[in-house]
Amino acid sequence: MKRSQFLTSLLAVPAALLFPSCNKTDSAGRKLTIAFMPKGKGNSYFIACEKGAREAVSELGVELLFDGPTNTDPAKQNEIVENWTTLGVDVIAVACENTEGISGALKKAQQKGIKVVTYDSDTTQDARSFFVNQATPQGIGEALMDEAARLCAEEGEFAIITATLTAANMNEWRKFIGSRLASKYPKMKLVDTKPCDDQKDKAQSEATNLISANPNLKCIMAICSPAVPGAAEAIKQAGKAGAVKLLGLGLPSENRAYLKEGVTQSVILWRVADLGYLAIQVANAVANKSLNPGDKTFKAGRLGELEIEGSSIILGKPFLFTKDNVDQFDF
Amino acid sequence: MSPQTRFIPKQLLRQEFLLLMVVLLEVGFFLCTAKNFGTSDNISNIIRHSAEIGLLTLAMMPVILTGGIDLSVGSLMGFCAVMFGVITHDWHVATPPAAALTLLAGLLAGAFNALLITALRLPPLIVTLGTYSLFRGLAEAITQGTKTYRSFDSDFINLGEIHWVGMPIQAWIFASAALFFYLLVHRTTFGRSFRAIGFSPEGTRYAGISVQKRTALPYLLTGITAALASLLFTARLHQARADAGMGYELYAVTAVVLGGTSIFGGTGTVHGTLAGITAIAVLSNGIGRVPAVFKAGVGGELAALLTGALLLIALTAPGIGNHLAKMFAKDSTNLEKLKPSVSQHAQKTPILPS
Amino acid sequence: MKTYFRELSVLVTLAILLVILAIFAPHFYEWQPLLSRLTAQVPALILALGVGIVMISRQIDISVGSQFGLCAVLAGTVAANGYGLPTALAAAVSAGTLMGALNGWLIAGMKLPSIVVTLATMVTWAEVLRLFQQGKFVNLPAGIQWFGLSQLGGQIFLISFGCVTVVVGAHFLKTRSLGRYIYAVGSDAEAARLSGIHSGWVTFSVFILMGVLAGLAAVLNLVQSPQVDPKCGVGLELRAIAAGVVGGIAVNGGRGTLWGVFVGLLLLSTINPALTFLHVEAYWEKAIQGLVILLAVVADGFRVRHHSR
Repeated sequence: MKRSQFLTSLLAVPAALLFPSCNKTDSAGRKLTIAFMPKGKGNSYFIACEKGAREAVSELGVELLFDGPTNTDPAKQNEIVENWTTLGVDVIAVACENTEGISGALKKAQQKGIKVVTYDSDTTQDARSFFVNQATPQGIGEALMDEAARLCAEEGEFAIITATLTAANMNEWRKFIGSRLASKYPKMKLVDTKPCDDQKDKAQSEATNLISANPNLKCIMAICSPAVPGAAEAIKQAGKAGAVKLLGLGLPSENRAYLKEGVTQSVILWRVADLGYLAIQVANAVANKSLNPGDKTFKAGRLGELEIEGSSIILGKPFLFTKDNVDQFDF
Repeated sequence: MSPQTRFIPKQLLRQEFLLLMVVLLEVGFFLCTAKNFGTSDNISNIIRHSAEIGLLTLAMMPVILTGGIDLSVGSLMGFCAVMFGVITHDWHVATPPAAALTLLAGLLAGAFNALLITALRLPPLIVTLGTYSLFRGLAEAITQGTKTYRSFDSDFINLGEIHWVGMPIQAWIFASAALFFYLLVHRTTFGRSFRAIGFSPEGTRYAGISVQKRTALPYLLTGITAALASLLFTARLHQARADAGMGYELYAVTAVVLGGTSIFGGTGTVHGTLAGITAIAVLSNGIGRVPAVFKAGVGGELAALLTGALLLIALTAPGIGNHLAKMFAKDSTNLEKLKPSVSQHAQKTPILPS
Repeated sequence: MKTYFRELSVLVTLAILLVILAIFAPHFYEWQPLLSRLTAQVPALILALGVGIVMISRQIDISVGSQFGLCAVLAGTVAANGYGLPTALAAAVSAGTLMGALNGWLIAGMKLPSIVVTLATMVTWAEVLRLFQQGKFVNLPAGIQWFGLSQLGGQIFLISFGCVTVVVGAHFLKTRSLGRYIYAVGSDAEAARLSGIHSGWVTFSVFILMGVLAGLAAVLNLVQSPQVDPKCGVGLELRAIAAGVVGGIAVNGGRGTLWGVFVGLLLLSTINPALTFLHVEAYWEKAIQGLVILLAVVADGFRVRHHSR
């Protein structure tokens, strides 16, 4: 039949033209390629991270690949790592969503000679060479609990707003918040934990309900970044500014107004851009073999000499933003 | 053979053929522009990464063919993954019987959908919207949202990694499933009736076919397939958690429709669905390997955008094609005959009928 | 009485829930938080009314959440650049109209299935928003929140606006010719065509209306806080569809009222706070919501079967 012959030839032409002409070999003497993955794209925290990473990249003259999950599929990070592995990058720097879930994919990358470092949140120790540590889950959990206790004078009810009930890193923090609470603050009580789906408006509704359902509530702890301004707006609308304290993990830029109005008392965060900057510096040094297992210190560009604990490079203690110092930070 | 009866299969063939062309063009384009696209490691990645969604898509196809839909498949994957964790870790059952029990759990969940849809004659869209919430909710309630089941049998974990005769194990599982669905839909009278049901449930009933019983089967199959997908997913990720399969129902529906199955039911083929799955899988892997794309870091967004565009083009192409053909064809009577029958069907059931 | 059976049964369920709350958690009825809770539901209500009308016309729109998010960020950006709220509103409504027109053209003009078209546009608008906004909040200038009114004034205005929209919408559907055409096209497009109704134009208008309402809802959400979260539309389409379904709108079109959507949304949006007030753990929320949707349709299934015998 004429038409089918025509179609077959249509099919054959691109195949014949395209397939043999392909040339995928890498040219020699190319730049070092560092692949850098956030837990999720479109999240202001990791956008700040990326900014720091790009600064380090232009200092060091390496190539950066930035990609990450755009949805809530827990398998996405693994897939991106496996794709990078076959793409042939030199170093992978990743903020892990699943400690164990991603380790298999990272180990496979290591077997192919790709260096792996982690930042923000770690995988298992055998699946990476160094972890750029802004604060351990224990450090974050305890800092949040201690600050809540300070705001409430170590007494009374408090509630937590988290991103989703399945968010692994926040569940780690909640574990340490709970153990710190049990061991140090017997007069405080965690009355409820609510998810806000990482949405500000949902956090606002949840906070409104928490405040009015628990009349003795003294403090709300918002442990994902959109929850802090969301809960602040709820407290403000309820007219409970100061009566219900609010602290959380978030960016200064999203909370500046509420801090100054006295609705939000404290926001805890490290210099996020520095975290991205340091992760790239470490990735570069590991690839150049200027940073090796067993080293005690690491010189990280503009950040100076940093301490290494085991295989963790410590960025420094988290900052506490209050209405007095929030204007000094521009992220 | 009258010209009319010959025309319809040819029309279908052409649509699938076009999609096959799209797949080949994608492959050709990515072989040239994308980095390390054609390596065996990457091909095995494409298969491993799309196996679960591919299985869900295969199972979704007969459902849509009968004029239904199953929005609960992704949530059911989460539920089954959690059930597998509970059975192995909390009930201390060995892996093979635990896997069998998980498949049974999926089958029961599918039976629940089927019961509501066929016995109570409720609209599938609404029933599975309810179970979409319910299954995910049960998974979260069982784990209290927070619990992750880790450290499974190494033999089980290997399912996510090992190759058998040069292909990842997922390839063989997927191929068997594809063969099963192909034989069911195209080579059994039972499966052929799906198309009749989707085209006209009333007419099928008058033809003496038990519509309710036959409509139930595709939902049972999606249940058991979602359980199978959850096992593969758990093996690949080394963990079972309530968020497995989040959003997969939309990928599956997209792939089925892209593969030429009418969302109103009544028309569609399993090989078309396979082409649909391949087109999406190759696109989302390849686009992230094009240097300009991975340097800008927009692979995920572009893949989603292009899939959406491809879907719209695939849907509008036959209409536009017919239009063009009408302009060029000297004898357009055949096309004229075809047109009203298609649009009539579309108008009769603009959205999913119950 | 018989025609409003579903609306009444949802209302009774809601009343039972409210009585339980009155007995076990009287704090639920504190004036101020109640007002805040109701205000927060107004944008979802406007969206749900639109989706309800779409469903009555026997179509579906799952892109409304993405439309809402895109309109909210657009309006927020316009307002943040000092153009004022009226311009922001105009921008949001125009954007909504354009997106609605695209859906309407593909569905009514190209005769494509609405669930597939809106699936594609849902993904497209969500990814476009992510590419451009990268998840950053939009900080609004002072004087936008509550339209520059006091908090109480703004909240009362928004709640009244929501109620008026329900009344006007229900009246429109019941008495105006376009409203009757929507029911006619929804119950039987072919019969509607034979009786002289241009069903294509009716469907097209319904999607335009949906877009306008999405833009409007986005602005009504924007005025409730000093920041716009680009993720604000995620998941709203499912809430809107669920509200319609619980409230008795038939997916097969032609049946249901906006009063049903209204009580359906009230019921759904009471479940979540009720769990907090009754101190039920949060991880039960999704399962309970799924059960409520299923119970509503199962009850209806039994009733319809009973009647048809």
